Amino acid sequence: MPATKKAKSNISYGGGAIVSSDVKSYANDPVVIKKNEEARIAVSKLTLPASDKK
Amino acid sequence: MNLPHYNYLTSDFQSYEFYSEGPKGQIKKAVTFSRIRDDPSTYNLALVDINPISGLTSDLTVSDNGDRDIILATVAYTVKDFSAHYGNHYIYAKGSTPVRTRLYQMGIAGLLEEINIDFDVYGVIEHIAYPFQKNVNYDAFVVKRK
Repeated sequence: MPATKKAKSNISYGGGAIVSSDVKSYANDPVVIKKNEEARIAVSKLTLPASDKK
Repeated sequence: MNLPHYNYLTSDFQSYEFYSEGPKGQIKKAVTFSRIRDDPSTYNLALVDINPISGLTSDLTVSDNGDRDIILATVAYTVKDFSAHYGNHYIYAKGSTPVRTRLYQMGIAGLLEEINIDFDVYGVIEHIAYPFQKNVNYDAFVVKRK
């Protein structure tokens, strides 16, 4: 009888990251650096709601 | 918050990877948090696609994989994990194009009740953050875990 293999679902509920040393840091990725620089400029002008200013 | 999301991996709780699945197949994505302001402490959230052959990242790829809400829910869970490990900082996010920012806005609006359980969500208009409201167009978004 042929063996059947159930596909492992990629969907979860409830959260919780899977820790894996295979995931690299993207901190030095050129696209991420460019996005961060644009965000840094935008956030420098950003006003948060008054109750959250601390 | 109890939303269907993709399984996501991390080694340092600052960068995360997951696979979008849909008609276009599997698309590898990464979420990363980078500190961009000290007072108040604010991090930028960057969501990028990863080319499976070159390994290069892009924030302009149109995946069109029909799973926007699952991707947004996955990103929300990475914010939750990041905040659990590094503290409740402001997280700033903006789409790479106005169209993408609008898609994020529609996604946030659709998931707002669930997201609001764990997060304060703000929309940015002309450099001012307001509590997020549906049917309002924003330039960017700020979230903070409650």
